[in-house]
Amino acid sequence: MLRYVIRRLLLIIPTMFFVALITFTLAHAAPGSPFDRNSNRPLSQATIDRINRYYEVDKPIPEQFVAYMGNLIRGDLGLSFTRQRPVVEIIGQGIGTTFQLGIGALLFALAFSIPLGIISALKQNTLLDYSSMLLATIGTTIPSFVIAIFLISIFGVGLHLLPFVGWDSWQHMVMPIFVLGLGAGAFLTRITRASMLEAIRQDYVRTARSKGLRERSVIVGHALKNALIPVATIIGPATAGLITGSFIIETLFNVPGMGRLYVISILQRDYPTIMGTTLLYAFLIMIANLTVDILYGVLDPRIKVR
Amino acid sequence: MVTAATTQQQRSVEVTVITRKQRSLWGDAMYRLIRNRAALVGLVVIAIAGLIAIFAPLIAPYDPLELHGSDGLMEPVWTKFFGSQFTNPAYFFGSDALGRDILSRLMYSSRVSLIIGLVPVSIVLAIGLTVGMLAGYVGGAVDDFLMRVTDVVYAFPDLLFVIIIVATLRGTALGDAYDGLLVIFVGIAVVNWVGVARLVRGQVLAVKNREFVEAARAVGAGPGRIMSRHIFPNILAPIIVTVAFAIPGAMLTESVLSFLGIGIRPPTPTWGVMINDGFLVFSTTPWPVLLPSLCISIVLLAFTFVGDGLRDALDPRSKM
Repeated sequence: MLRYVIRRLLLIIPTMFFVALITFTLAHAAPGSPFDRNSNRPLSQATIDRINRYYEVDKPIPEQFVAYMGNLIRGDLGLSFTRQRPVVEIIGQGIGTTFQLGIGALLFALAFSIPLGIISALKQNTLLDYSSMLLATIGTTIPSFVIAIFLISIFGVGLHLLPFVGWDSWQHMVMPIFVLGLGAGAFLTRITRASMLEAIRQDYVRTARSKGLRERSVIVGHALKNALIPVATIIGPATAGLITGSFIIETLFNVPGMGRLYVISILQRDYPTIMGTTLLYAFLIMIANLTVDILYGVLDPRIKVR
Repeated sequence: MVTAATTQQQRSVEVTVITRKQRSLWGDAMYRLIRNRAALVGLVVIAIAGLIAIFAPLIAPYDPLELHGSDGLMEPVWTKFFGSQFTNPAYFFGSDALGRDILSRLMYSSRVSLIIGLVPVSIVLAIGLTVGMLAGYVGGAVDDFLMRVTDVVYAFPDLLFVIIIVATLRGTALGDAYDGLLVIFVGIAVVNWVGVARLVRGQVLAVKNREFVEAARAVGAGPGRIMSRHIFPNILAPIIVTVAFAIPGAMLTESVLSFLGIGIRPPTPTWGVMINDGFLVFSTTPWPVLLPSLCISIVLLAFTFVGDGLRDALDPRSKM
């Protein structure tokens, strides 16, 4: 087990290297520099050279990449092209908000999806089951920004119940967390229902029933325990979904987090910030996947991790 | 009496055996799909959307790019009954801030969505099938390569990767081709082929040591023939289901990119572009945002219903 964890942790290094390489190559393959856009006030060649030297983009690309990776190891992500501040600092300001949003959404998703999935499975083919499955289908299918638009037009613009710009009070957090959690939760509901349906048909559940256990302890103690294993493994991809979802939701609700920062830096072609946020996102996703894989081995002794 | 009844029963059994039409696996699946009401509704919606996309130039009341400056921000005709003073029967669904007819723009948008649903998914399928089959059946270097690429691509969130590709290639010839359509094809294809390849590889590995493959090999079939005639038909079902879900996935990607302002270039109408445009006037009138949102929701739901139906029809065991 320990060897498995160490091997997976070591695997993060080459993967991060390739993520950095791909992003770096793409960013520098793009034509034009981020500074040559103020064409109404042309800069002198000397100024451009000085700017390029300041941001260290005057050297050949492979050399820049090596320098970047060297700085990365020391925890330096370079200077933002548009904000004249270190990328680490900018990310540091946004990451707390993004975590609030992400963790809030994950908790909300878990809180409604698991009970709903279990009840749907126990009451299979009833009206309750059909309606929660319809809800889950809608939640997984309709894009989060579309759901957000519907909510904003009802609760924000229409009824003036909730603010929808910024991240200052708990009222501001209601809609972003709801929308972000809905998609992940809808997906988890489907998984929970499917895996619960499978679990209640297993022999060990029949055994538990036939030895006279109360229905409640059959469901909670025997079926549920096993049904939640696949659910736990989906939380990794669901977290990845929350991370990608965060930049749509943050942009839409104007939440000052990492996601909005990412979208803005894409629009402004601020490559150091794009690189930094991409690497951080990739790192978070790898950690999430690794945690889930380890959890899987712990929860289900039948799975042998190598 | 007893024997007579038995022979009677036997005969009726024989008769039903004879009259029951032989159904193939695929015929059975088709029957189950049509019987599924949600999937049927989905198919009908997709068919209607397809017809609208094909005949958009004939049925759209206006050119989707035509500006009617004085008729900006008209609301849909039915809002008249709720007290709106800004309706005009000439614009059934109203008009946007520049006075473009929303109905016409919605109709033309379906063209982009369907193209986005079909072209990149075909590319993904072609690459994924080839690499997956080779990795699964031949193994070796192709397999190692696939597994390493998978590690890297899986570390990127899908959408993030597409955004990076699309955003950095903006401004190049590739990025500007067909109003940004081509680079979205590339982005979706680059990110998604790995998933299909992995699925195909897994399926091939599960099938390739089964008896029927061994039998084919024993009678002298070559690897090409075994892969195309024996393995491929047996792994087709999960691939069809994956493709059915990849189509709405691609459409969603386009709409998110366009919504964020890095997808299809305005003024070319797509639902995502329309939502992005309409957001500027959202507090004045919500319709320029709500109508394209509804369209994309309906079409994505239709594809999901068909996808769910296909999965249930092709693999009755995995009801989810």
